[in-house]
Amino acid sequence: MKETLRLQYDALVIGGGIAGLQSALDLADQDFKVAVIEKDATIGGKMIRLSKVFPTLDCASCITTPKMAAAAHHDNIDLFTYCEVNSLDRSQGRLKASITQKPRYVDPDKCIGCRQCEYQCPVYVPDQEQGGFNLRKAVYIPFSNAIPQLALIDVEHCALCGKCAKVCPTEAIDYFQQPEDFVIEAKTAVLATGFKLTPMDQKKEYGQGQIPNVISSLQMERLLAPHGPYQRVIRPSDGKEPDSIAYVQCAGSRDLSLGISYCSRVCCMYAIKQAMLLSGALPLADITIYYMDIRAFGKGYEQFFQNAKAMGIEFVKAKVGRIEQGENHNVLLRIEEQEGDGRVVRREHDLVVLSLGMVPDWNPAGICPVGTGDDAFIKCVRPKLAPTLTEMEGVFVAGVAAGPKDIVDTIAEAGAAAMEASNYLNSSASGRAA
Amino acid sequence: MSTNQEKKATGEQKKVGIYICHCGGNISDHVDVEKLAENVKDLDGVAVVHTNTFMCSDPGQELIQNDIRDGKVNRVVVASCAPSLHELTFRGAIKRAGMNPYLYEHANIREQVSWVHHGDQATEKATGLVAGAVAKALRLQPLEPIRVEARRHATVIGAGVAGLRAACDLACRGLEVALIEKSPFIGGRTASLGRLVPTGEQAEEVITQIAAKAMANDKVTIYSCTEVVGFEGFVGNFRLTLKRKPPEEPYSAAEPQKIRMDHLEKGEFLPAAGIFPGDVPDKEQEIFLETGAIVMATGFRSYVPGEGEYGYLHSDKVITLAELVELIARYPDRRGRFLQVKGKPVRRMAFIHCVGSRQIPGIHEPDQDGRLNEYCSRTCCAATLQAAVQIRSSFPETQIFDFYRDIRTYGRGQEEVYREASRQRVTFFRFEPEDPPRVQKSSGGKFPLLVSVKDTLTFGEQIDVPVDLVVLATGMEPTPIKELVEMMKLPVGADGFLQEVHPKLRPVEVANTGILLAGTCQAPMDVGEACNAAQAAAAKTTAMLARGYVELDPFVARVDPERCKGTGLCREACPIEGAIELKERQVDGKTVVQAQITPALCTGCGICVAVCPSRALDINGWTLEQYEAMVDAIVAA
Amino acid sequence: MGKPDKEAMKALRKQRKAYIDRAQQEMKKQRKLIKAIKEQIKDEPKTVPRIASEAKLQADQVLLYVAALRKYGQVVEVDKDGDYFTYKLDAEA
Repeated sequence: MKETLRLQYDALVIGGGIAGLQSALDLADQDFKVAVIEKDATIGGKMIRLSKVFPTLDCASCITTPKMAAAAHHDNIDLFTYCEVNSLDRSQGRLKASITQKPRYVDPDKCIGCRQCEYQCPVYVPDQEQGGFNLRKAVYIPFSNAIPQLALIDVEHCALCGKCAKVCPTEAIDYFQQPEDFVIEAKTAVLATGFKLTPMDQKKEYGQGQIPNVISSLQMERLLAPHGPYQRVIRPSDGKEPDSIAYVQCAGSRDLSLGISYCSRVCCMYAIKQAMLLSGALPLADITIYYMDIRAFGKGYEQFFQNAKAMGIEFVKAKVGRIEQGENHNVLLRIEEQEGDGRVVRREHDLVVLSLGMVPDWNPAGICPVGTGDDAFIKCVRPKLAPTLTEMEGVFVAGVAAGPKDIVDTIAEAGAAAMEASNYLNSSASGRAA
Repeated sequence: MSTNQEKKATGEQKKVGIYICHCGGNISDHVDVEKLAENVKDLDGVAVVHTNTFMCSDPGQELIQNDIRDGKVNRVVVASCAPSLHELTFRGAIKRAGMNPYLYEHANIREQVSWVHHGDQATEKATGLVAGAVAKALRLQPLEPIRVEARRHATVIGAGVAGLRAACDLACRGLEVALIEKSPFIGGRTASLGRLVPTGEQAEEVITQIAAKAMANDKVTIYSCTEVVGFEGFVGNFRLTLKRKPPEEPYSAAEPQKIRMDHLEKGEFLPAAGIFPGDVPDKEQEIFLETGAIVMATGFRSYVPGEGEYGYLHSDKVITLAELVELIARYPDRRGRFLQVKGKPVRRMAFIHCVGSRQIPGIHEPDQDGRLNEYCSRTCCAATLQAAVQIRSSFPETQIFDFYRDIRTYGRGQEEVYREASRQRVTFFRFEPEDPPRVQKSSGGKFPLLVSVKDTLTFGEQIDVPVDLVVLATGMEPTPIKELVEMMKLPVGADGFLQEVHPKLRPVEVANTGILLAGTCQAPMDVGEACNAAQAAAAKTTAMLARGYVELDPFVARVDPERCKGTGLCREACPIEGAIELKERQVDGKTVVQAQITPALCTGCGICVAVCPSRALDINGWTLEQYEAMVDAIVAA
Repeated sequence: MGKPDKEAMKALRKQRKAYIDRAQQEMKKQRKLIKAIKEQIKDEPKTVPRIASEAKLQADQVLLYVAALRKYGQVVEVDKDGDYFTYKLDAEA
């Protein structure tokens, strides 16, 4: 039997999104050796999939890609993509992570990212990177600024026709590739495992994801992004350019019926941002935001909100009770106005966006002894003075893994986690660093 | 020098590569990128032109690197966003490909073109800017960064929770730290807080813990009663002058009785003042400090309502949240039927949110300095509701009415506090900024004050609430540090807080290299958020100083000894003390006086270049010859 | 990868039979759909609802495949017709 590969680092970062990358860069810049483990085939996390970011309206790629490239080229950072962490234990003062690299069915040393395989592959598959609004092939590169630029085969949709192997100029296709197990040993770790959206199919009153022109906020990010599925904003049911778009706030947050009692903290701002981008893309469209409280609390956010109001975006304080399919692919909202005379009214829109909240994308149970809170996010043991400390010695947490957060707060916390981790590396004693 | 001569001098032909970025539509929606590429491809010296959706992405950078490695180009022009965003990104990429990173010129065709012009004009202007950049690129010389030794010493200004946190982390990583605090106590505003949201921890315990840690660390020197009065130098080698002077007693406003410092013990906590760090100076002294980096942690002050704002100062029954929190914090375990304030039971009380925050031009009055606080102070909603819950549970017969615009309990565990307040039967009224609640003294009746509001939750109904006490949820304002801002030339945002370079790319740095931001001097934050920011700043500081040297951009003045006649005009005009000196030199057996530059001090402002009558001065990377060539090229394009 | 071993490929095909069968069925459906869409827009540009009604297809499916064909360079967007854009087979493709 082949001996398991064991790699040695100072620090291990789990998650290659913006939090993980920032922590890794802040550690590597202090001359520590860092391994970044990412479950997807590319680093960049949720942020690289966004259109523009509030409150500066920089394109998300303009901020994320340089950090991705900086991490990819840093002498002190090694990236491990398409990997799962099976366990993370501490013994004799060191952390040991057992990791499985999933097979890409493409030799990473040979693939040059030319996409010949993708062009020739005959099988189309819904592209989740485009919110399901476009198709990719069964062999594909996730997206144009993915790192690494390596193809992978989705075997569940592969007909094994052999075309990709035939056209590959470097003979990189390997249909027989197997998962590979290896071990990373490090002194400290940062958990930056991020979030996923609250599921769309749970709320009966909101159509359980079955109404075609009711889409999630991340799907709208794709519609607004450069290289989006349609390269413009049209609605998915029939390609109509919408005249009237509505946002339903707190659709999946502050909702005890879904078991999600907390505020997801970013939805007000991303809805306002998307509304602004939409009014740029579709100057004649009416945009309405149905909300409970507008939470524009970060630096420059309130001013951003006031600008949106001045631009003519309509803010309606109301509870959306029910969402139904209307005529002509339109969407009907039954809303209970909380201002004015408080009537229940019906309003019709061409396209409706659910401002979904955040739930954790990773559960440490069974992998490492790190506890979680009632909200299922990783528990912080000293939330005031050392917010990145977890229940496990030498293991820190950054970003949305420790509760919903916007990018600005995530980046600050990632720096803080790097500080704690470097303090821990520095203290030769095995005692707590903070 | 003509291009021919230059060719001979360097022995190689200059080959410029132009790399044009679409910025994912940000540029290409307005600039016809393909036409731009066509327009510039035949310019003198241009070897290749490429376009890419995101030139800053890895595939984009590789495009440039491959051309360099293949010997196709030896000068690089990137046409994309503002250089402040990605100049460093591209220099890094060029360096990794084995080329001198300063043989690079940036044309800003986003902020200067596509964001402000449209149609053919945009493409025309972009063509001009790229042509100018090419002309300059042909005249660029390889440069080396200026390496200066850096002191492994950092100074933290402000000993609140952020300053203490940063100081502890910096010391932990082996740096010597000077922690400077204006007051005789450390702990800052946190020392005035009560139970913290949402953990319910007592602020006193939290702040005492971190203060004790700082005091116990022998790498941290605490200078209380101290202000920074002098600042000079540059990253790695700042020189500060501190003034330490005896405190004016009594110190604490909350404890009107005189506090005698000599009765306090080191580490003792004094409510609303902080932790006593051990000594107070008995006479004024001046201290000089040499330090590698400066962390600003000057914190915030609570907004003070104007006279008559919601009845403030017109009635002593109108107080601020900060005052209420201090009152509650002092007696955390007190219980009873009614909350007592100023010796009187409070049967009914009102909270009013967003006082001094979320102000809107045209609705709110600016202060004497003409300033409006348009921002949200972020912490007051949760703090108000926490106080409400605490009062409702300790004094069950005190009724609470809460007047708000939006409830912003965004943080982890904060929504639960909001829910608990509702469960404890706090009554909420919502108002619009143009129709704020009015606070009046009631004539007769059982209650001294009357709060009236047009409640939007009940269809705009006019509601009158008689109360014993009104608490104004006052927001945060940056601590006034005008002297420091002027002395250190710190960037300040429109909101009055210190301004970071970029909220995501460089969130804890200011444009002045070597100066960092921690906590509420940058924006409103709660204790945990301030600690995160402080640790992020400490991480950046450590990375900067850990190697014992820092590298500075080489864009500084240089003197041409053939031309310098020693007039000294440059030294007179130079705004930086010590950046230009006149030195004697031997030339052909004769002694001449000539200008000499100290590169680490020079900021490359170019004033000296403008005043020199013999054109003996130039700025590396921005020479007059380069400027002239750029202007010619732009005009010709 | 060099020439794949025939026996090994056979074994792999057997192991992945369920996936392969499904993919092949999908491919059949996809080919038919793409053919029908291309047929509609080879001579004149049309909107998604028009393609859908004339080819008797679901509009959302038509849009999905039009988007994919655009991405892989076979279809181009032309003018706007009312609230809808029209699409045409790319003559150069």
